[in-house]
Amino acid sequence: MAAPELLSDEGYRADGRRPAELRKIRARMGVFAQADGSAYIEQGNTKALAVVYGPHEMRGSRSKALPDRALVNCQYSVATFGTSERRRRPRGDRQTGELALQLQQTFEAAILTQLHPRSQIDIYVQILQADGGNYCAGVNAATLAVMDAGIPMRDYVCACSAGLAEDTPLADLSSPEEAAGGPRLVLALLPASGQIALLQLSARLHQERLETVLEAAGQACRALHAVLDRVVRERLREVTALLGD
Amino acid sequence: MPMLRTEKVLLLRGQQGRSVRVVREHYLRPDVPCRCALCRAACPRDGKLLSDDVTHYVVPDCKVVQDYLEILEFPELKGIIFMQTACQAVQHQKGRRQYNQLRNLVKDARHDCIVFANEFHQHSYLPREKGESMEKWQTRSIYNAAVWYYNHCLGQMPVVMVTEDEDAISQYGNETEGVFVISFKNYLDNFWPDLKAAHELFDSILQAQRERESESQENNGKEYPEHLPVEILEAGIKSGRYIQGILHVSKHRAQLEALVRLQGFGSKETELQSDILIYGARARNRAIHGDVVAVELLPLQEWKGRTVALCENETEDKAPADTASDPMPTGKVVGIIQKNWRDYVVTFPSKEDSQSQGRSAQKILVIPLDYRIPKIRISTQQAEALQDYRVVVHIDSWESTSVYPNGHFVRVLGRIGDLEGEIAAILVENSICVAPFSEIQMSEMPVSSSKNPWKVNPEEEKKRLDLRDTHLIFSIDPQGCEDVDDALSVRTLPNGNLELGVHIADVTHFVAANSYTDVEARARATTYYLVDRRYDMLPSVLSADICSLLSGVDRYAVSVLWELEKESYDMLRVCYNKTIIRSAYKLVYEAAQGLLDGDTNVVGDILELKNLDERTRQKKLAELVWAISKLTDIARHLRAKRDSCGALELEGVEIQVQLDDKHKIYGLIPKQPLEVQDTVAECMILANHWVAKKISENFPHQALLRQHPPPRQEFFTRLRECASAKGFSIDTRSNKTLAESLDKANDPLDPIVNKLLRSMATQAMSNALYFSTGSCPEKEFHHYGLALEKYTHFTSPIRRYADIVVHRLLTAATLNETKGDVKDYVFSNKDLQELCRHINNRKRAAQRAQKQSTKLFWCMYFKDTTTETEERCIADGVIYSIRTNGVLVFVPRYGIKGAAYVKNKEGLVISCQGDRSCEWKPGSLHRFQNKITSTTTTGESVTLSLFDHITVKIHVQTSRCHADTIKLEIIRNTPYQTSDTEVSQHFHVVKSDLAEEVSQSAEAAQHAQEKAGVEVIDEDYREYCQTKGASLYQLLEEIKDLALLDVSADIRT
Repeated sequence: MAAPELLSDEGYRADGRRPAELRKIRARMGVFAQADGSAYIEQGNTKALAVVYGPHEMRGSRSKALPDRALVNCQYSVATFGTSERRRRPRGDRQTGELALQLQQTFEAAILTQLHPRSQIDIYVQILQADGGNYCAGVNAATLAVMDAGIPMRDYVCACSAGLAEDTPLADLSSPEEAAGGPRLVLALLPASGQIALLQLSARLHQERLETVLEAAGQACRALHAVLDRVVRERLREVTALLGD
Repeated sequence: MPMLRTEKVLLLRGQQGRSVRVVREHYLRPDVPCRCALCRAACPRDGKLLSDDVTHYVVPDCKVVQDYLEILEFPELKGIIFMQTACQAVQHQKGRRQYNQLRNLVKDARHDCIVFANEFHQHSYLPREKGESMEKWQTRSIYNAAVWYYNHCLGQMPVVMVTEDEDAISQYGNETEGVFVISFKNYLDNFWPDLKAAHELFDSILQAQRERESESQENNGKEYPEHLPVEILEAGIKSGRYIQGILHVSKHRAQLEALVRLQGFGSKETELQSDILIYGARARNRAIHGDVVAVELLPLQEWKGRTVALCENETEDKAPADTASDPMPTGKVVGIIQKNWRDYVVTFPSKEDSQSQGRSAQKILVIPLDYRIPKIRISTQQAEALQDYRVVVHIDSWESTSVYPNGHFVRVLGRIGDLEGEIAAILVENSICVAPFSEIQMSEMPVSSSKNPWKVNPEEEKKRLDLRDTHLIFSIDPQGCEDVDDALSVRTLPNGNLELGVHIADVTHFVAANSYTDVEARARATTYYLVDRRYDMLPSVLSADICSLLSGVDRYAVSVLWELEKESYDMLRVCYNKTIIRSAYKLVYEAAQGLLDGDTNVVGDILELKNLDERTRQKKLAELVWAISKLTDIARHLRAKRDSCGALELEGVEIQVQLDDKHKIYGLIPKQPLEVQDTVAECMILANHWVAKKISENFPHQALLRQHPPPRQEFFTRLRECASAKGFSIDTRSNKTLAESLDKANDPLDPIVNKLLRSMATQAMSNALYFSTGSCPEKEFHHYGLALEKYTHFTSPIRRYADIVVHRLLTAATLNETKGDVKDYVFSNKDLQELCRHINNRKRAAQRAQKQSTKLFWCMYFKDTTTETEERCIADGVIYSIRTNGVLVFVPRYGIKGAAYVKNKEGLVISCQGDRSCEWKPGSLHRFQNKITSTTTTGESVTLSLFDHITVKIHVQTSRCHADTIKLEIIRNTPYQTSDTEVSQHFHVVKSDLAEEVSQSAEAAQHAQEKAGVEVIDEDYREYCQTKGASLYQLLEEIKDLALLDVSADIRT
């Protein structure tokens, strides 16, 4: 069977988007009262929840504590009901472990960890519904949650994926597009400085194409940044209004 | 841009076969462009627009698009809006092939039709309601979109929706003013009552459909096993259980034998080098010649051998088992991966036969022209009327319950045996479409007439390098050549070095990328040459005038200039330029050769030197002679260099027809090519080679080059065997050793032996192919025949599309160095590879068509022999292959190859009388490696061995349903003795006789038919204008197919 057509001759993707368009994003910060920070994000049908505790003293073995900066501890899981067929184990397999590590790397780069030596920051991300770009949604949710917790960061971390249909780069892949088997590039960007926190490429991609795909992913990240920024400001307005009362 | 987000819930089949609920997003937007020229809203207007000068727009629904796409392809039908809903239905239900057909239709700028993405527009999208059937929802969506479209155009244009759904017609028919819902039949009746072809096609499709339905109800006993589902085939191919390949049906035993040529050697099947035999119709399981199939191998004890005896394409099988060769891998088809059906030319069986078919006169088995295609069952009431015509049919389906495939009648081509009809049949069989150029294409052409000749544009003049005054440029072509696309120059530079220049017509300046002319040229891909006519790739205003480098006029050109060291001719520098040139002389080969040989008689033939006073003439002549001899010198040098790397010189017997101004034949190009032809060819090869280097450096992944892969050694076996019969040994290890040993294999008494050996060597070669550099590793770029590491086609942009692409690439490559934007000129690797495939296919089709038309002419020539012309049918022949019941013979006088039987159908064998003339007698045959002996019951015996000269009689075997074939009959086993002295003369005149005579007799036949005596056939009926480069360089490239006319066995299959 031939792979499904990613981009029609008229320039539409299977779900009606143009190549560079993102899926609909909805986000909310401060969804849990108990945690220090929390956020919920929907990117299309992908839904992610992130919760942040900390910075707090090291739990468990104190020997892990770092003398000059805070330890970022991440956990990533997909809810058992998150996929179209029920999963057995929400975490603990190789893939989620790997994604947790990547999250940790991303946020170690973004959070100003040297401000909190010998302490620990916990980030828990759970994907409630998986529909493509799970990791990206997780990163975006975690960014909002870290901000909600009031932990100083260098910048937002915005993550977005991009793929390729023939010669046209596609931004923000949905799950059927990911399943089509083309190359997939995941980019986590600090938009203000343009620094890359994480770049991952699965499947082979010709060297000459890399630049265009990377450009498309960067563009998508900057668009995402605009959206996230609006959410944060909105939240700030709410909170200050509450304080004002 | 605000988008509305909705969700669709789909039920899909999950991995374990359970149904799974899947939610997919679906975005709606307000900004879907309507692509209509009438639109007043702010829709973007880029790309193809629906024209506003039609009476209505028509919106076909899913069913109509699926079933009647062929009718919608008629260019007369305009203003068609394909709704996305309908396109998706085609994609899901009819498969990729038909969907691509639809896509190409929409992409084609010449058809007035568009796709409207109705499902993505927020006002024209309707969600599917609970419990609503798919079909109902599709019809509803399409109707809703049609209404939206009508309103969007502010009611300026009525919209007609055509559907086959009766309910929809009654439900929606009167709902909205200006939007009509009618059935497709109704639509054709009301709007296109005069388009007869469409009506006929409609009836024929409808009937085929009904039959299929009734048949599936009957479902009586299966004739063939079912095909396996695609997933199983794929898994099977991956695991190595099934093998994928292309089915090639044997030409001579079409009923029984077919071979599957393997495709994409996987790691597991490397031990299986040879092709796989498919024996019998049941094992072939409904696959048709050219299909990509999956094959399962049979167990070893069921393997069979191929038949090696000559046979005459009998419909019934009479092959005795003892003629089979060694068993080879045998398999059966388990599934068809890709169908490769096209339109087929067929003939109705004669009246007597059709009656015997019995039960209903409605269904008729028609016989395709191509032996390899099975009979096709069609239903038509016109069988009587179409008795004597060649017609085109289309295969619709082949159910497992039916012995033959079902099809429908498409159109009539012409009478059987009529020249025009037969040529139309050749064109259809090779999928060549040659409508005259349309007005819109012609309107893109620059104007040039004899009164108002085309002139150089002063602005363009500034941009180009001007060579008009500095260079002595001239062209050398065959006699009567109209499209001069190359010219040469050579001069001494101030520093003493030489400068060699090759100047090629700048066609791309006049043919913009993606213009209508470009689209048309791409579709044609090459100029088609048939024996008595040609179909141009570009309009003649370009090919014969503005792009033709005639002498004495200014022309745009693309020039490649080399600086050569004066003594050693080493390349010092090369540059590529857009130039303006004025050719000084348009020479013919003979004249140029004359100048080279110092023959002063030819000077009078050179038009450009007339009307000059003696002194200037001498001066100019001296200049020209110097240039030609210098060129020849350089060419010899280049050739020697290439020879040392192993370039091959191969033999192709081709007789070229030459014409005068009125297109009358007056001569033939001598068979021994003149040296000056080699000179021109060598310069062209040099130019092609350097351009290939340049573009592949600049575009390492998307340059168009030409490769000639080295041949597979096992194909040389026959050549080695034949050569050893004469005591020569052929070393085929590399192109160099092959070239050397072929040179040595020369029998001084019989020059034909060497010729035959060379032609066998060419048969063993694979074809040279165009390819995109991004699609294969660099070590495969090599050109085996020319012994060059990179090669392309650059020098004939007037008659090959590949050259146009290369010109654009070269332009882009030179632009690349100055400024950035080269997008317009360059294809992506994938598109280019696709284009190369297309050009290769078209080129092959062109060669096949040329071969078939030559054969047609030969047959017509030999058919109307009377007693007085009997003599021309008897000729000398050379045996070049031995089979179990006959020999293959080459007739040098006509350049024909054919089979001659030693044992006839009654089982009698040949024997010789005292005067060595032959007769049929009862007896037996013995076949040896290099000879065949027939022994009669009375004890006389005759032995025929390889390369024996015999006398054969040529006669034509006529056939109603197929093309006529030439048969040879051995009448004496001694060389042919000509009574008269005109042997050599005969040799040359023959082909001109042939074409002339055939067209005359065709003319006579036409006249008889139209008694009124209207002068139908005028000059251009016999327009030949064959200006195919008559050089060795040409032969080298197209050698394989242009080689000997092979009417007998295909050597490799």
